[in-house]
Amino acid sequence: MSNLEFERERPAAPRVVVVGLASCFGCQLQITNAEPYLLDVLGQIDLRYWQLASSDPMPEEFDVAVIEGAATTAEDIETLKAVRKKASAVIAVGACATTAGIPGMAAGNVEAGAAAVYGEAGAPEACGELIDPAPISAYIDVDFEVLCCPIDTFAFIDVLQRAIYGSNRLPQTATLCGECKHNDRGCFFGRGVLCLGLVTRCGCGARCTSLGRPCNGCAGLSPDANVAAARAVCAESGVSVTAFDEALQMFNYVNPALSEASEE
Amino acid sequence: MLYRVIDASELPSLVSAFLETYEVIAPVKSGMSHAYSTVESFEEIALDYTTTITPLKKLFLPVRETLLTFDTETNDVTEYSEPVVPRVVFGAHACDINALNSLDLVFRDGPYPDPYYTARRNATLIVGISCMPTDTCFCHLWGSDEARFGYDLFLQDIGGKYLVSISSVEAANILEAACSPREATDEERAEFRHVTRRRQEAFNKEIPDIQEVAMLMDAFHSDPFWEELGARCLSCTACASACPTCYCFDIRDVRTPDGKHGSRERVWDCCTNPQFAVVAGGHNFRPDGRNRVRHRMYHKLNGFLATHDRMLCVGCGRCVRACKANINPIEVLKFFERKGADDAE
Repeated sequence: MSNLEFERERPAAPRVVVVGLASCFGCQLQITNAEPYLLDVLGQIDLRYWQLASSDPMPEEFDVAVIEGAATTAEDIETLKAVRKKASAVIAVGACATTAGIPGMAAGNVEAGAAAVYGEAGAPEACGELIDPAPISAYIDVDFEVLCCPIDTFAFIDVLQRAIYGSNRLPQTATLCGECKHNDRGCFFGRGVLCLGLVTRCGCGARCTSLGRPCNGCAGLSPDANVAAARAVCAESGVSVTAFDEALQMFNYVNPALSEASEE
Repeated sequence: MLYRVIDASELPSLVSAFLETYEVIAPVKSGMSHAYSTVESFEEIALDYTTTITPLKKLFLPVRETLLTFDTETNDVTEYSEPVVPRVVFGAHACDINALNSLDLVFRDGPYPDPYYTARRNATLIVGISCMPTDTCFCHLWGSDEARFGYDLFLQDIGGKYLVSISSVEAANILEAACSPREATDEERAEFRHVTRRRQEAFNKEIPDIQEVAMLMDAFHSDPFWEELGARCLSCTACASACPTCYCFDIRDVRTPDGKHGSRERVWDCCTNPQFAVVAGGHNFRPDGRNRVRHRMYHKLNGFLATHDRMLCVGCGRCVRACKANINPIEVLKFFERKGADDAE
């Protein structure tokens, strides 16, 4: 008898790059906040590029691209397209990448904004060719999203693992109130206080509301959000509908669903 | 059933007796409302509470629980169960006891008992307490205003005293040791009758009492009312989180950060979650609020009745408070009331 050993072939660790576009880098920092588990996470991947850790240039080949930040320049669009061609999986992390987030609020007003900061001459060349800020899904297909501002460290690890090992779990689209109830705290609307949980995607564990702070909508408008019904709830509860609409802009300024809802 | 009377002043010693050997869960103040929470002393308990934000089901079917663990390299599975500590729920209202009885039918008394639920339920004593209805209570419409079984002690407030109905030896022994239970006098029996009458009369009369609700659900299945109700659904699932009898769940596998191990977790899910009815291939067979809201009401007011001979709604009114869009069984009853009006179209 032969002594053949059928050693299971170990696939090479997936090569991962982390790309930062317009953002505060806070979500990338959140990844490093995995401190006690950081080596465990790095042990499952071959980290090829991360400006936060090394100034080596982006490699030509990789498997998974983690992208933080909104697309705010023509150069960003080129970067995104180049990354998408090489990556078998793209993960958008944080509000800026998934909703355009805070940068999104400059949409429609980019030139005037640049003039206000840099003077009549506008933004210096180093800033690139400014465009209306957009979530990265406006330019490329995104396979996975890690929501919120900033992201939750463990939500990131979970999504990274799903990108590496595969997953058939759907991104959640229910809005926040059901999850908020798990914390056994009363509703802000009962006290006439505005909270964006009515239309914001769940999944964060409603941690702001559990700490007594209304939801500011950083997970973004749910694709199943019922903005018209939420406005009616505001009106019923003595909460200003205008204040609700304005508050929604912080993380949903460029979301077409929002402008459609206001036209109703 | 055995009945005895104790003084209200004896309740602290009853709770103290339970605290000696059990974890005690009771209603406590939470902001402007109440929540069931673990307590360390009688003083923390708000026995005059009206209702709680979330129901007792979280104690038996936790929001998230691990069912088993596995090794991702070898695929070895290890059974997992949280240690179950003996507990007492102190101060459950009749509607909530009836809700637990319904959950028992699903998780404990069927052909395939759920071991996780059953272990927790069997390790928990229930001490009920009588209450007066609020504006959003309609337990009497479903017969859930009385707890007929499913508790160990039930305390009927008869003014400074409690008529205690005793249905387990374990609880009877503790009652006997901690208090001085005595035979009820004729006056106390009469007072019990007065209290039940006062309660009966205190229900909100604006909530219509409708006959044949289950049949009406079928008869008006295609009515435009469901579009009207469903169109304002926020898809937030607060209804199911607040509902004492919503028991649907999802099961997910989660890896440890090192990717080498994982756990299979059960988390609450519900039919008002927009993705609840998404099947392989991406088709959603309940794609809008109309279908989802109607389905939920059907299970509460029609479907469960057909299998278990009781409504799955206990009329606790939590969803009436939790749903900001005002979607709840009272709205369904009012719809049937309109259909029955002399000038109905």
